[in-house]
Amino acid sequence: MNHMPVVRFERAAKKVGKRTIVHDLSFDIAAGEVFGFLGPNGAGKTTTVRMMVGLIKISRGDIFIKGHSITKSFKQAIRHVGAIVENPDLYNYLTGYQNLKHYARMVPGVTSDRIEEIAETVGLTGRLHDKTKTYSLGMRQRLGIAQALLHRPSLLILDEPTNGLDPAGIHELRGYLKRLAREEDVAVFVSSHLLSEMESMCDRAGVLQNGKLIRIEKVNDLVRGGDKKLVCLTLDPAQAQQARNLMTASNYEVRSEERPGELRIPLRPDEIPAVSQMLMQAGIRIYGIQMREPSLEDKFLEWTEEKK
Amino acid sequence: MIGLIANESMKIYSRRLTWILLLLLLGITIGASVLGNVNSARAADWRTETEQLVRQYEDRLRIAELSPTLRADAENKLKIANYRLANDVPAPDPDPWTALLSFSGLIETVIVFAIIVGADIVAGEYTAGTMKLLLIRPHSRAAILFSKYIAVLLFAAAMLALLLLCGYAANVLFYGWGDLRATDLFLNGQGQVVQSTVSMQVLKMYGLSLFPIAAYVTFAFAVSTILRSGALAIGISLLIMIVGNSMIEATAKIEGLKYLPFANSDMSLYIFHLPARPEMTLNFSIAVLSAYIAALLLLSWIVFQQRDVSF
Repeated sequence: MNHMPVVRFERAAKKVGKRTIVHDLSFDIAAGEVFGFLGPNGAGKTTTVRMMVGLIKISRGDIFIKGHSITKSFKQAIRHVGAIVENPDLYNYLTGYQNLKHYARMVPGVTSDRIEEIAETVGLTGRLHDKTKTYSLGMRQRLGIAQALLHRPSLLILDEPTNGLDPAGIHELRGYLKRLAREEDVAVFVSSHLLSEMESMCDRAGVLQNGKLIRIEKVNDLVRGGDKKLVCLTLDPAQAQQARNLMTASNYEVRSEERPGELRIPLRPDEIPAVSQMLMQAGIRIYGIQMREPSLEDKFLEWTEEKK
Repeated sequence: MIGLIANESMKIYSRRLTWILLLLLLGITIGASVLGNVNSARAADWRTETEQLVRQYEDRLRIAELSPTLRADAENKLKIANYRLANDVPAPDPDPWTALLSFSGLIETVIVFAIIVGADIVAGEYTAGTMKLLLIRPHSRAAILFSKYIAVLLFAAAMLALLLLCGYAANVLFYGWGDLRATDLFLNGQGQVVQSTVSMQVLKMYGLSLFPIAAYVTFAFAVSTILRSGALAIGISLLIMIVGNSMIEATAKIEGLKYLPFANSDMSLYIFHLPARPEMTLNFSIAVLSAYIAALLLLSWIVFQQRDVSF
């Protein structure tokens, strides 16, 4: 095992004029790890990705890829990187094969066998010689991933990769990324605002808000952390308002109903018997009490609320 | 670098626009050849014909308010016509080489088409969003930028070659193969009448035209790189070209204008001994154009190197 991280952020920051868009980021990503980079739109995810690949200059600090500074030795650093930045923008007037050939010519050692091989991996063999303007969004995503993997990078960067993919496509992508990380020891950096998808895709995640890294943890810890669980109460829809009033009167936090007659309340497990007793004494008919593992989405809302 | 140039060329020749331009150039060249053939009549008796021409030029020179360029043109033609009569040298029969020499104006078509392609090669990648994926490869930005520049220059040179080849081929149909060693009378840099090989003059004129072509392409390329707008780059370049042509006359009157590229951009002026100012030479024009090309390239490189690619 190689212990040098594939990516190392050393207090990397981006300033435009007086405004700091990304504040001192410092973290490592190891080989074989799928790292999720989460944050709402406008948090600075794309800016960070662009700094990692040298498209925009780093104002302070540096980013190292396999030990090479992206600012000082760009060519050595970028050689190990494959990326899709934002949309998979392709040359529409070229065929899929020509698009891949184009990028193959830019890195030494990529043979035409490798082009065929990668096209097969992403499942484009049948349409490879069609112009890419005839491709669906899903196919463009695949071709985008193919060009990123063409030169067998050590780091794969995908910026919002699930945009425009159907559920089957997302499922497939998830499996593929995990395989890539496990079998070929590639470090994968995935940015997204869609937390539910990251949850099943990533090993570890960093949460970015307003350009600051507010949390960085293993995805499992991120999701399970905290002593309160989200409890879902199902009751007679006609009595929902009455129940809500009762609960808020006793200082419990009631989240908005997803369906009529369904209340979601963050509770410690030992509070559940008291709550149910209180409701039953008031004559409210309870059809079900469920404890739910909070999703990353819930957690995310929680953290961003805390920060405000 | 070779791989990068191959990539850029692949992108140029895979676009439908490129082939439309090439077909247009082909059509215009053939059209010009047919028109040239219709207008050329072989003289029955060259002596009376030439005497007529001499009278015609003398009449023209008597017009007081003749523009300097037209006056110089008439003087040149008169000088050659008189030399023909005195030394018994008839004008050669029209052949593909003399025809090629007469449609030097088509080089402007090549310039316009090269501007169209050169204006899009950098700006187009920004518009399509492909610049991002292009720049995250192990190549310096300078290599990426200059491979594009070289690919456009090669395309312009290919168009010039196509113009020459098609023009020659079309005229072969009218006049036969022509004589590679046929000579005619020209004026040299000092204004003296000399015998020169027509085919060599043709090659000289088209070859030297690479400088003005490169100058306009570089201008369009620089505007496209700096402003990231292909439409704007085409518009500004064509405007400069139109203004530039009218500046040749002005240069005859105002000396400082000779340092602008405009009066130096028509190489046929040196073939036909019509420099905008008497002190301007072929080498002077090439030096001026090269200086502008170098400055524009430097500017493009600095901007491209420094730019944050953030959309």
